[in-house]
Amino acid sequence: MPVKPPRPYYVPVANEEQVFKAAFNQGLSIVLKGPTGCGKTRFVEAMAHDLDRPLITVSCHDDLTTADLVGRFLLRGGDTEWVDGPLTRAVRDGAICYLDEVVEARQDTTVVLHPLADHRRQLPIERLGITLDAAPGFCLVVSYNPGYQSVLKDLKDSTRQRMVAITFGFPSPDVEEKIVANEAGIDHDRAVELVRLGQAIRRLETGGLREVASTRVLIAAGRLIAEGLSPREAARSAIAGPLTDDLTVTRGLVEMIDVYLADEQA
Amino acid sequence: MDDEGNDGPQRLRLLASALAGRNVAVAPARPGEPAWTDGMTVYVDAAAVRIQQVESVMVQASLLAGGGLEPEVVRRLVRRPALARRYLAVEGHRALSANEDLLPHTVRSLIDLDLASRATSPAESLTMASARGHIPDPPASFGVIRARNVLSANAATAHADSQAAHVPRREQKKALADLDDGDEGDDVTDPFSSPVGGGGALGKALQHLMSRVRQLGGGGPPGAETPTHRSHRGIRGGGFVTSTATPPSDLDGFKDSSDDGWKYPEWDVDRRRYRPDWCTVQEIEPPVQPDSMLGRPDVHSLRRPLTRLGIGLDRAHRQAQGDDIDVDAAVEARVELLAGSAPDEAVYLDSLRRRRDLAVLVLLDVSGSAGEAGTFGETVHEQQRAAAAALTVALHELGDRVALYAFQSQGRSAVSVMPVKRFDDRLDSTAMRRLGSLTPGAYSRLGAAIRHGTSVIAEKAGTSRRLLVVLSDGLAYDHGYERRYGAADARRALGEARRQGIGCLCLTIGAGTDQGDLARVFGTAAHASIPKPTRLGDVIGPLFRAALHTADLRRRVS
Repeated sequence: MPVKPPRPYYVPVANEEQVFKAAFNQGLSIVLKGPTGCGKTRFVEAMAHDLDRPLITVSCHDDLTTADLVGRFLLRGGDTEWVDGPLTRAVRDGAICYLDEVVEARQDTTVVLHPLADHRRQLPIERLGITLDAAPGFCLVVSYNPGYQSVLKDLKDSTRQRMVAITFGFPSPDVEEKIVANEAGIDHDRAVELVRLGQAIRRLETGGLREVASTRVLIAAGRLIAEGLSPREAARSAIAGPLTDDLTVTRGLVEMIDVYLADEQA
Repeated sequence: MDDEGNDGPQRLRLLASALAGRNVAVAPARPGEPAWTDGMTVYVDAAAVRIQQVESVMVQASLLAGGGLEPEVVRRLVRRPALARRYLAVEGHRALSANEDLLPHTVRSLIDLDLASRATSPAESLTMASARGHIPDPPASFGVIRARNVLSANAATAHADSQAAHVPRREQKKALADLDDGDEGDDVTDPFSSPVGGGGALGKALQHLMSRVRQLGGGGPPGAETPTHRSHRGIRGGGFVTSTATPPSDLDGFKDSSDDGWKYPEWDVDRRRYRPDWCTVQEIEPPVQPDSMLGRPDVHSLRRPLTRLGIGLDRAHRQAQGDDIDVDAAVEARVELLAGSAPDEAVYLDSLRRRRDLAVLVLLDVSGSAGEAGTFGETVHEQQRAAAAALTVALHELGDRVALYAFQSQGRSAVSVMPVKRFDDRLDSTAMRRLGSLTPGAYSRLGAAIRHGTSVIAEKAGTSRRLLVVLSDGLAYDHGYERRYGAADARRALGEARRQGIGCLCLTIGAGTDQGDLARVFGTAAHASIPKPTRLGDVIGPLFRAALHTADLRRRVS
């Protein structure tokens, strides 16, 4: 009997865990909305652990085809052999299938999700001429980042209404301090400073920035600090660098970092 | 990366914006002068030590965030420096402590918690300051409150706003400060705002000048008196030279029955019906000035996102990998194998994007507001023009059909659309010169321009995937085309275009305002705002793709 791995570290922000588990028990599909780096993927991992289901993650890209999800025939010698795609595997095994950034997927690909996402919970496999009923425990979870565009308008209305939406934001400062301290393995005071810097950056109207400082970059900065870099060096590399390529904006961010973080060794 | 930075206090701009909760600039004050703000720019002494600069910025930005510089409070401080000083001492601590969660440790020690806890709002701070009790002087790094400067900056924005103007470039203030011109105090140079549009002396002078000119003109249709852009006053002050393509301001001279021009209906949101044949659109050859050649735009960053767009899917046979087995190839391979020769292993069918099948029409807003100073020292018009050039060239080089039209208007009977490059024109130096010759001026009637663009695409594009790209800096105004009415009409026009399977999207470049109106008209999924043209590559991929998706869906439904 293999030992169950520990639960991925996730701190609930609101009632998202209850909503997810309720939707899971009712066989509803779930859409997670939220900015990048706010913990959507970690949340799904934690939920899969709690519900004791395998998790199959597919990172969607714009050349993802239906066959990539469902499966395809390959030739082995003189015979054809069917190979299940990740979605089919999840449907057969009753796993949680997590389509990360589903908005990136090609539109003809997302169509295959429609009968799965609504009450039918079926996956028609056209090439095999069969329709698979989802095994108990199967759950379709998609995520997207409502930055520029919404995938929901690409899904059928009927499907959209059968999806349960959970909206994520960045956690409140005290929760985020806990998360950063825990994930990066730094002491609480350092985490407080980092979170405060992150809060200030998020207040900027995003004119010069593509995205604001996510929990993820704060953790990355924290981990650099844990490795012995000075807080300022760490924040420049992990926060200012990834957020912008623009020299003026970088200078402004560096200035903010210098104001918020002390410049001594951790 | 050097710590000090060599470009003065401007580098604290992000910090100030973060603390104020909105865009605020930072500029050097005169040497030895205490820090102050006019509500848009925080001035700090460049010669001061760094920590004091930081503290000053924090205090002034917190004042802005806490509402301590709202006109209703500040008005009572005019010409009362002692009161202003006492007010700053109380309100500065209060605003800092209200913003405490955002402040770094080093600055939090600055807060006098006792003082801060005694007031809970700017009004209470003012009451405390007016009372007799002892109030310690604020620390030197707090700077000063310059009531008159705050009010005059406020007045400039509020004034423009109150007249149903174009989305102003700066934070709007609710109250309209009544301020006589004698109050125009020391004219500190403000490098960040337009010299003619802002609250500066020149802007004031032009405003006065222009209001007289407009009255002399008189006799226009209702709404003709309404300025559409704050900067118009300045720009139109040049003697109407800006709208070379439009007829003179005698609107009635243009009869609806004139032969040339296209007639388009307009949606009347109040009566909830169309006004048939309401707008007349003229296609006018833009003037070409000889020295107006634009340099080749940098299209490198655009090429990658655009390459993937608008390409039809093709079934490709005999691929090494793919979705399906290519039965013919598989049988052949099997036969070859049985015959003893080496089989070809490419036996799959794949869907590949190959065929280019996209037509794009770019509509460039050349109304007067685009002449305003934008970010990074160029006017909005220059930035929009650069973006239009980059988009057109990039799409053209990829083999897409692309057209570029500019538009402006003077009332409903004189909507001018200037073809810089028609779908069938060559993209040569003449076209680039035409683009370079465009001068912002007049107003814009977005709905009519969209309808004309739609009909041009529908007739001339000849592809199944079609896009209409509007480059504009804010929601348009025209005679009898106010904000709400114009927004409803433009939304309607977009709906008409989308029903024909034409994807629509809007880009705002360089304008530092909130473009909420445009985003509401186009939908947030079809509108993006970027600070400068070089950032185009970041947004057009998803934007174009989303617009094409929507259009595809509509086309399939219909």
